[in-house]
Amino acid sequence: MSTHRIECTVNGEAHSVEVPARRLLADFLRDDLHLTGTKRGCETGICGACSVLLDGEVVKSCLMLAVQVNGRELTTIEGLAEGDELHPLQKNFMQCGGLQCGYCTPGFIMASCDLLKNNPRPSCDEVRHGLSGNLCRCTGYTQIVESVLHAAEEMNHGD
Amino acid sequence: MREFDWLEPASVEEASRMLADLGDEVRVIAGGTALMLGMRQRMLAPTHLISVAKIERLRGIGFDAAQGLRIGALARHSDVARSPLVQQHAPVLASMAARVANPQVRNQGTIGGNLCYADPSTDPPGCLMALDAQVVLGSVRGERVLSIEEFLVDYYVTALEPDEIVLEIRVPPLAAGTEGVYSRFLRTAAEHRPLASVALVARREGALCREARIAVGASTPIPTRLRCAETFLEGRSVTPEVAAEVADIVAQDITPVEDLRGSADFRRDMVRAVARRTVAELFGLSIDQGVPA
Repeated sequence: MSTHRIECTVNGEAHSVEVPARRLLADFLRDDLHLTGTKRGCETGICGACSVLLDGEVVKSCLMLAVQVNGRELTTIEGLAEGDELHPLQKNFMQCGGLQCGYCTPGFIMASCDLLKNNPRPSCDEVRHGLSGNLCRCTGYTQIVESVLHAAEEMNHGD
Repeated sequence: MREFDWLEPASVEEASRMLADLGDEVRVIAGGTALMLGMRQRMLAPTHLISVAKIERLRGIGFDAAQGLRIGALARHSDVARSPLVQQHAPVLASMAARVANPQVRNQGTIGGNLCYADPSTDPPGCLMALDAQVVLGSVRGERVLSIEEFLVDYYVTALEPDEIVLEIRVPPLAAGTEGVYSRFLRTAAEHRPLASVALVARREGALCREARIAVGASTPIPTRLRCAETFLEGRSVTPEVAAEVADIVAQDITPVEDLRGSADFRRDMVRAVARRTVAELFGLSIDQGVPA
């Protein structure tokens, strides 16, 4: 089995790590870089708990190999807050009750980042479509959608 | 997931040589969204993965008036959906690509990878068939061009030779007055694999259908062109009744697969419903009036 040196930037920090070819991106983030905010859920590409941003676009890290991110830039849930200041999505998920057990939350927030980047003023329906790659078994989604809509409002406030 | 070696050729020739030299248990990886699932479930245990991500020949989306759209095999579904060229010259393809799976998969999965995997329960193959698309294959032996119908051989089987890779997809220019509609039926909103899909590309003058290409996907082992239904439509003024008749012909002419996700009868019924809606949408008809479902 081949091993490869991966050079990538994660949450603004440069990393250079030797990994076996079969290392999944999700395992690379959690086990090699100890960034355990990214969750392993179904590990079959369905639940979206492992969602991260790759070059600013949301992907499922359980469906990718670490070798595929060589030379690229990743953002995980740990990279959103600025110091003690939570990202508007994080704040609004808290305030609107967009979570119960919290396991799916990092994935939902990363998918929401991508959604709001492409569509800063989404409708309720567009939020649901934008988050269709993520499953939540607690909330029933209503509060998640509200969280994203509130965050969008807050993020657009400066415009 | 079993162990394997990772290779990153920089050219089509290099990739082709690797494929020829490394034996039967070699797989090509583009985005990997489908391949990873197969490997993690140990349905596939390749000795080598050949990543085509560094082959420039497979990148980009272009258009020229004679050949139409050229979509590099590495174009992701999100690239196809957002491409101004695709939106302008084959809007139905952009609209289909915007609905593939979910945002995460669209940002990673590629149109070339989708075709090579030949999974029937996905959106692109049927839509590309109705667009009369062609697939360009390359190896050390040169390039060849196949129609989608020639390329897709059977359930998960393509016409790719062991040393070949897909380079690009070509979508011929659409004649003036040509429109397309792609519709599908999902069993649940959360299940992203269509159970039935219908793509219709038709040239029309008002209600009159001049030319039509219809392909059913997801319900048959490979997408199926419905030539009887196309002939029936051509030269006809399309009314809600005609839409219903075409849908009956379409449903009759397919041999649906049957599996845990749906019986053959259920699939046939869904194809009929989707076909009727698709024809009605393209010709701007309201099908809720006059004709029973």
